[in-house]
Amino acid sequence: MGKKYTNYLLLAPALILLAIFTIGPLIYTIYLSFFDWNMISPTKTFVGFDNYTELFQSETFRKIIFQTFQYIILFVLLNTVVTYIFAYIISHLIDRWKPIYKAAIFTPSVISLVVGSMLFLWILNPVSGPVATVLGWVGLSIPNWTVTEGTVIVVLSLIVAWKVFGYNFIVLYSGIVGIPNEIIEAAKLDKISKFRIFTDIIIPMSSATGFYILIMTIVQGLQYVFTPIRVVTQGGPNYLSSNLIYHSYQEAFDLFNTGVSAASSVITLVIFVVLLALQFLFVERNVYYEN
Amino acid sequence: MKINKYIFHLIIIVFILLALYPILFAVSNSFKHLSDAYSSTISLIPNPFTLENYVDLEDTIPLFRITLNTFIIASVITAFKMVTSFLAAFALTYFHFKFKKATYFLLISTIFIPFTVTMIPNYLIISEFDLIDSVWGVILPQLADAIGIFMLTQAMRNIPKPLIEAAQIDGISTFNIMKDHVLPIVRPAITSTAIWFFILAWNDYVWPLLMLRSRDSYTLPLALQLFVSSEGGTNFTIAMALSVITMAIPLILYLVFQRYIINTFSSSGIK
Repeated sequence: MGKKYTNYLLLAPALILLAIFTIGPLIYTIYLSFFDWNMISPTKTFVGFDNYTELFQSETFRKIIFQTFQYIILFVLLNTVVTYIFAYIISHLIDRWKPIYKAAIFTPSVISLVVGSMLFLWILNPVSGPVATVLGWVGLSIPNWTVTEGTVIVVLSLIVAWKVFGYNFIVLYSGIVGIPNEIIEAAKLDKISKFRIFTDIIIPMSSATGFYILIMTIVQGLQYVFTPIRVVTQGGPNYLSSNLIYHSYQEAFDLFNTGVSAASSVITLVIFVVLLALQFLFVERNVYYEN
Repeated sequence: MKINKYIFHLIIIVFILLALYPILFAVSNSFKHLSDAYSSTISLIPNPFTLENYVDLEDTIPLFRITLNTFIIASVITAFKMVTSFLAAFALTYFHFKFKKATYFLLISTIFIPFTVTMIPNYLIISEFDLIDSVWGVILPQLADAIGIFMLTQAMRNIPKPLIEAAQIDGISTFNIMKDHVLPIVRPAITSTAIWFFILAWNDYVWPLLMLRSRDSYTLPLALQLFVSSEGGTNFTIAMALSVITMAIPLILYLVFQRYIINTFSSSGIK
């Protein structure tokens, strides 16, 4: 065994696994998106782009695309914007108890989303949950969110936010801490407000990390929210909490429309690729890199 | 100026209490009688304290079997992924070869592929090998994961290259270089990545959902799903007991290795 091939030998296990279970399936899913098939029948019927046109002509699917973007906006708001602000406060605006805060904020990130879904379901139970009880004391009530249009997406996003916040916080925090302190001290001496320091120094100078978190929040958030959707609402009421990821699952494993599911997955993939390309272009051009 | 700081501390503490409340809610209700859980929803202290939910849980589902399944799946996935990721990261850091950058880029880009894109073919592969409803059916497709390669490559890049190159020139075998020069230095990254993989696999829901059919082969998150109903129900406190069991292992691992995990993730965002 020549030394020349050692590197390929070392890479082989990982590459073979990825070829079998990721790259191969990716290609096969694209292939399946051009066929009509129910996963059981021995024959697949070639239908060209019919699965795609069927999707785009369906009212439900357009609703699902729209909701997917609603989820994206909520994830970005809860897990990038709010997280950024917290990371700034803890890194620069206070000077005590930072390690304890960091450790505590990260804690929910290690907990199963099924557990999270279950707990939020009970805590936000509109009749007997603790939130409803406390609000009841002052005469307020909470809607039956699992069946309420709009609210259902907000609460499902909140469950995912609960899980993802800590991870994003830790990464953004270290991005912010990486900014040379002299710049911030100089700004403080010039009496620049905390808000301006955040918008004019912190955000631009940690934007490589910021973009990474932004993209991960979207890519992972849409997949993470599958769990609360599946556990709590099954996409309902009337598809109002579904998104592209859940739709692919439902078409494949509830309705056995392999082709439509595959087409919906390919559309998701295209959206992700566009996001990544944007990040790549933007980051390479405009971003200040730490170090 | 001083007052500002107190306000910030207050905001953070309130936020943390809200974030940790669900955990306290689960633990406290898991030790309450069902009637008590309904009549005193707000109180976090069980009165009277009871273990009956944990006992009842044992009678409702094959708890030991389910916990063991979860443990086996998480351990095997973690072990395999760590070995393959370590070898690949080593090759990508210390060898020069054609298309190295392209290979790395290809590997890393698989991280962004949504699971729906691979789920149907993987389902077909597993059923072809008759592994549906088995531990291996859950494990196999999840071994393909480039995150470990990414994390370990980051860690290995921090080792001065001349150190390794000198050893290579001295004719020390690749195996010994890994064992004596690389492993000791990247051990913190290995520890935290392994713990993170274990926690991810322990909590995984999507793939076990597609693979597992019978209760005897369930994992903890799948079993928990049996207790979810938006209408409430008589199983509430039992469900809380199962929630506590499901989150106990990840929480304990996190508490013990907290510093490693936070340090490793701190450096994961910067490419």
